[in-house]
Amino acid sequence: MTAGQEEKVSRRSLLKRVAGLVAGALLNQRLAAAATGEDEIGSRGKDPLIVRVTRPFDAETPVREFASFLTPTDRFFVRSHFGPPAPEQISEANWQLRLDGLVERALTLRLQDLRRMEAVTITAVLQCSGNGRAFHRPKTPGVQWERGAVGNARWTGVRLRDVLAQAGVRPEGRHVQFQGADRPVVSSVPLFTRSIPLEKALHPDTILAYGMNGRPLPLLHGAPLRVITPGWMAESCTKWVTEITVQAEESKGYYMQTAYRVPTSQAELAGPVMVPVEAMVVKSLIAGPSEGETVKAGPVSIHGVAWSNGAKISTVEVATDEGKSWEPARLVGEDHPYAWRQWQYGWTAKNPGTFAILCRATDGQGMTQPATSPWNPSGFLWNGWDRVVVTVRS
Amino acid sequence: MLAVVGLAAIVAAQDDDTAIVAALAPRAESLLVARCSVCHSENLITQQRLPRARWEATVEKMKHWGAEISQDEAELLVRYLSARYHPGAPDRLPPLGPEVGAEELLNQEPRPDGPVAGLATRGAGVFERNCQACHGAGAGGGMGPKLAKNPILKHEDAFWETVLHGRGPMPAWGTVLTHQDIADIHAWLLTR
Repeated sequence: MTAGQEEKVSRRSLLKRVAGLVAGALLNQRLAAAATGEDEIGSRGKDPLIVRVTRPFDAETPVREFASFLTPTDRFFVRSHFGPPAPEQISEANWQLRLDGLVERALTLRLQDLRRMEAVTITAVLQCSGNGRAFHRPKTPGVQWERGAVGNARWTGVRLRDVLAQAGVRPEGRHVQFQGADRPVVSSVPLFTRSIPLEKALHPDTILAYGMNGRPLPLLHGAPLRVITPGWMAESCTKWVTEITVQAEESKGYYMQTAYRVPTSQAELAGPVMVPVEAMVVKSLIAGPSEGETVKAGPVSIHGVAWSNGAKISTVEVATDEGKSWEPARLVGEDHPYAWRQWQYGWTAKNPGTFAILCRATDGQGMTQPATSPWNPSGFLWNGWDRVVVTVRS
Repeated sequence: MLAVVGLAAIVAAQDDDTAIVAALAPRAESLLVARCSVCHSENLITQQRLPRARWEATVEKMKHWGAEISQDEAELLVRYLSARYHPGAPDRLPPLGPEVGAEELLNQEPRPDGPVAGLATRGAGVFERNCQACHGAGAGGGMGPKLAKNPILKHEDAFWETVLHGRGPMPAWGTVLTHQDIADIHAWLLTR
């Protein structure tokens, strides 16, 4: 630049150079935060949710929140592939539910129609199939959920089978497909279209929920209506549902045929057959003490939650010696078929030092959590023993 | 002896990865902002720890789903992502070096006399290709705020700061957009 040009360098250019140096530091901080998979600069530990993906918003619950039986709505984990639809699309004035396919009578229902039907409330655990994915080895692609992509809530709505009865399912109908109002940014991305077998759709406990923990379903959790398939992983719990289609076969499309599948246990000659993830597996979590906490030697209260696929929890056991010996915990609190059970164990921490607290649950079907879950290419269905490391001081 | 050779090999491989990341980061990070953040934020990528074959499959799947990257750009991204986000990489990675931030200052053409004059007709296209995914057609808003008639348009310093360096979930566009691009977008936004 000539001297004249240098004199004419605008104020904006100078400001940008200074801003660039300051912002370079901010940019590095943001990149660092992005690199850790967390998006909580400065306020770690105080945010209601741990963000795994900023956009679309995927966030899990800090495990200490599982000290309460019902997970508060504002701390309930959030997951979707595309984020919520625009609020105008699902406002009560605009929203409707279309039910057709292999039915005698296609139906279009408004929210007030659903509210006129018999309401039921089910207390049920919802869990992302990928909860615990971060613990599989080798690591698999996908959102690296740790322990908190799960929650227990009261869901209020209508039985899906009552709605299907109004339409009249034809004999050829074997599957029920759900489509929500959410859409990808780019139209070449497949829609989140999935189906469940008719038997699960007709189960009396499968509901279309418009209420969560006593209030209308919030936007992030599927307003105004979502599917709840108690005992099953939450990819069947379609949010923002607007279309229900009875059909002879499973849904086509990526999110049914490719995603959310695991190998069957038997090896086939041609390679493993992949089946959709459906029922949950027995699992337990330690809500307290927290990872890395220091406790005083003497009595230490260890507490948490345990659940399965609708089967009762028979026992929860705790170990503080890397699983050499297990002691039974007390099951406490409310007992509902699809909710979790709370448990409590009184540990006498005699010696100072670092200890790993482990827990494992066994359900009424005789299934027990393994130390580590069987690996699968998508990192689903993690239910290895939960583990919290604490320091005991004298 | 073999253990020492083994360790040396691991250290050498790590040095290679560090060198690859340093060399490719400016271009790769630029692509991640311009082509990938259309659909999702960068933390979906940065939390992965995958071997090369899985990165190849992932980038190919993204192309199939509409990510606008050429074959060369895809190969560059696979090399970069495999070097930085491989299975042995730590959970918390060190931040990228200052050369990534410096790139935006090097990216600009030599400055003409006075501030850059924006061309609204050109800005429409730049906005559509880069901003519309979040800020909506016609700058009417979407995931990102409505920019038509937005007060920030009158505070040019804040406008440029935000576009160049990002804010919250909005990525930094300084490595992707030239000064002319940003001036053109600003001029077009004033017409909305």
